[in-house]
Amino acid sequence: MSFVKVEEKSDFSYHNLPYGIFSTPDNPRHRIGVAIGDQILDLSVIKHLFNGPALGHHQDVFEQPTLNAFMALGYDVWREARKCLQMLLAADESTLRDDVSLRSRAFVQQSSAMMHLPAEIGDYTDFYSSRDHATNVGIMFRGKENALMPNWLRLPVGYHGRASSVVVSRTPIRRPRGQMRPDAAQPPIFGPSKQLDIELEMAFFVGKGNKLGEPIPVEKAHEHIFGMVLMNDWSARDIQAWEYVPLGPFLGKNFGTTISPWVVPMEALMPFVEPNPLQVNWVDSSYLGQGKKVLDCWSVLQSPLFRLVNVAFHLEAFQGLSNVILLSFQDPAPLPYLHHDEPYMFNINLFVTVKGEGMREAATICKSNFKYMYWSMKQQLAHHTVNGCNVRPGDLLASGTISGPDPESFGSMLELSWRGSKTIDLGEGETRTFLKDGDEVTLYGYCEGSGYRVGFGLCEGKILPALQQ
Amino acid sequence: MSFVKVEEKSDFSYHNLPYGVFSTPDNSRHRIGVAIGDQILDLSVIKHLFNGPALGPHQDVFEQPTLNAFMALGYDAWREARKCLQMLLAANESTLRDDVNLRSRAFVQQSSAVMHLPAEIGDYTDFYSSRDHATNVGIMFRGKENALMPNWLRLPVGYHGRASSVVVSGAPIRRPRGQMRPDAAQPPIFGPSKQLDIELEMAFFVGKGNKLGEPIPVEKAHEHIFGMVLMNDWSARDIQAWEYVPLGPFLGKNFGTTISPWVVPMEALMPFVEPNPVQVNWVDSKYTFLPPCTLPSLFRFWQRCVLSFLKIILLSFQDPVPLPYLRHDDPYTFNINLFVAVKGEGMREAATICKSNFKYMYWSMKQQLAHHTVNGCNVRPGDLLASGTISGPDPESFGSLLELSWRGSKTIDLGSGETRTFLKDGDEVTLTGYCEGRGYRVGFGLCEGKILPAL
Repeated sequence: MSFVKVEEKSDFSYHNLPYGIFSTPDNPRHRIGVAIGDQILDLSVIKHLFNGPALGHHQDVFEQPTLNAFMALGYDVWREARKCLQMLLAADESTLRDDVSLRSRAFVQQSSAMMHLPAEIGDYTDFYSSRDHATNVGIMFRGKENALMPNWLRLPVGYHGRASSVVVSRTPIRRPRGQMRPDAAQPPIFGPSKQLDIELEMAFFVGKGNKLGEPIPVEKAHEHIFGMVLMNDWSARDIQAWEYVPLGPFLGKNFGTTISPWVVPMEALMPFVEPNPLQVNWVDSSYLGQGKKVLDCWSVLQSPLFRLVNVAFHLEAFQGLSNVILLSFQDPAPLPYLHHDEPYMFNINLFVTVKGEGMREAATICKSNFKYMYWSMKQQLAHHTVNGCNVRPGDLLASGTISGPDPESFGSMLELSWRGSKTIDLGEGETRTFLKDGDEVTLYGYCEGSGYRVGFGLCEGKILPALQQ
Repeated sequence: MSFVKVEEKSDFSYHNLPYGVFSTPDNSRHRIGVAIGDQILDLSVIKHLFNGPALGPHQDVFEQPTLNAFMALGYDAWREARKCLQMLLAANESTLRDDVNLRSRAFVQQSSAVMHLPAEIGDYTDFYSSRDHATNVGIMFRGKENALMPNWLRLPVGYHGRASSVVVSGAPIRRPRGQMRPDAAQPPIFGPSKQLDIELEMAFFVGKGNKLGEPIPVEKAHEHIFGMVLMNDWSARDIQAWEYVPLGPFLGKNFGTTISPWVVPMEALMPFVEPNPVQVNWVDSKYTFLPPCTLPSLFRFWQRCVLSFLKIILLSFQDPVPLPYLRHDDPYTFNINLFVAVKGEGMREAATICKSNFKYMYWSMKQQLAHHTVNGCNVRPGDLLASGTISGPDPESFGSLLELSWRGSKTIDLGSGETRTFLKDGDEVTLTGYCEGRGYRVGFGLCEGKILPAL
């Protein structure tokens, strides 16, 4: 594979090659690197080796302190860069391998580098695209009958987040103070949040943008999607609950949002693509009013047997048959501007661990997977721009909390503790409903290949106590 | 006043001196200017004349293509810059007035300049701080009993907007297409918005920011507020209504937001400051009463007497005083006359459809900024914080077509036989505003946009 040694369980196999921004103690300049094994390949040192038709004239993008200029060059350039990196790092390629001087200048130990935000983020949008998460939250707050809002299955609901408070992994997160109204019969109060929560998410960076007024059609959306990171959308549930009607979450979110530093290119994830979830809607036709849930079709569709049958029996034929059976319950799939046939769902194993002050080991509190998303990144990007809204290189679009059907896959403490009605066991005698000061939360994730991984590194943060008056 | 001639009704009197970013046909470079009369003073040409303690070492902020670096220098630098400009433009000051060469290079006709966004906007937040607007919308959609949400009088409700689609006055606005559900009994549809609306707002730019985790206390908030512009928060009501539950407005707003190009410094607005609206609490405080507004002490004495008496009568009314982190005594509400005009395709003249005033705001900019950062959120130089639609108590002061037409139940008369409920393709909407001084104005120029047909 590569002349750089890579452990089997390393996130940074030869099949990954994620981009990030780093600096070193001897050179504080922010520069672009690619992770491989336990090394970083400094692209500013080898930029002269990118000689292809697309990159040859733009080598200076690798001198930049952020990835934005490289992202802006577009799909063909990213592919060319990846091919070049694969060539340079190949075990049988001597250009870098045997040039002792260049090689010693070009490689840096990951453990001695400091990572920074990989891009300047002009705008950050957070979606809400996990059906299980939206349903859980709906059940907790509105009851089972009205769990999902009527628009949820029709469009990928999202909101603008705060760009300034997106921070890179390992930035400490201070417990926010704010206004809350824990008792509706009493006036609101002010103080530190008592319901500090995590949200396991993934996010993608926009590579190439679009002009204001010119939507990105869903069939071309992948050409604008550069790569992905992990995200922890820290949330203060008490602050959020009091402020969010009617304009959405605000201070309950914007005190801090953490992302992992290594941006995994979509090409590295394509081997782990899966078919999109079936998007059908049962409840529109007015005379089906009482037929809201004749069968819990969602869990049927998610079940392993159904998926196995789909794969084994050629999806279209099976869908044709199921259409006939289910015709009386079927309602329009998403509107055409959101339709895409090619699969764009990814099997990425995701984990959340929490280590409290004084604990010896972190406890895993969540095991989930990005494949549980209902709306794809292509649908999110097409929806986001369908009205003419312009996205720019470096924009960050997050998935929303990722929860699957099983309780151990719920991506927030709100769900794991079911609104505080039960405790989450951290071992060593420790339990949680929400976060305590000193807790260290770590998100990590990877795609499992044959004898290698394509992973995301760590997305970490430690809770500092709220400011005193 | 100034050796530059200024008409009495010009927005850009000697008392204003707003900052903007412009270019000219012969020099396409974006540079910083100050508007005076019908001229622009090019600060990049005269930067060497800013020699005070705060600006002397930082003259290169006036070489920048945006105002961000200048804003970042902070309150003392802005005051010093203003003093220097007032000195240089004074009728009796010869430095610029008599230097023929410098003067000819430093001044540009406004009519020949192209204006650009004055700052790089890292984040844009929109508040909702007009009580009349929030009440009108509430009445229209929830009935009079539940007009205002319980949190409205307790905190300045706001949401994050889209920075990328904030554009400068003059940029055309294309009617958005999107998903809507006009009939709840039918599936949603896709198409051009049929309820394209305006929102008359004002917005301020953050000058100096704060670090993540370190709130800006309300008593110091004014040191972080650089200046103000007009804003039109174009809205597609049908797209907004279908998408906004539960996470707030999104595509119904982010297809375009227009701001006026000249940023009026807060110092120019201070002569037009007014007492803050009274934010009182009749019931919460368990029979103690705190009048938060600043008034002469004798009047306050009488106010206490009268209000204590009224309190007994009005005990059943609840209007809460804000929590301490939101309280400030110094007045920070401004008397700024605001106007909205609409000119349809083929009309000879624009029709004024709204006459309002910034003084109608309930929450002040200091309260908004303190609230925005109280949880540790960091703001940065160039951030834009908007007021929310400005409506007053009278129908002619309502700042949106939604309110002016009362949800389409009546038409708005544009004259020349034209009426509107919402905008039509080809409509040109112009927001203007100014403070009225004695024989002069401090104004904001134009905030304009024309509607293009949907794709």
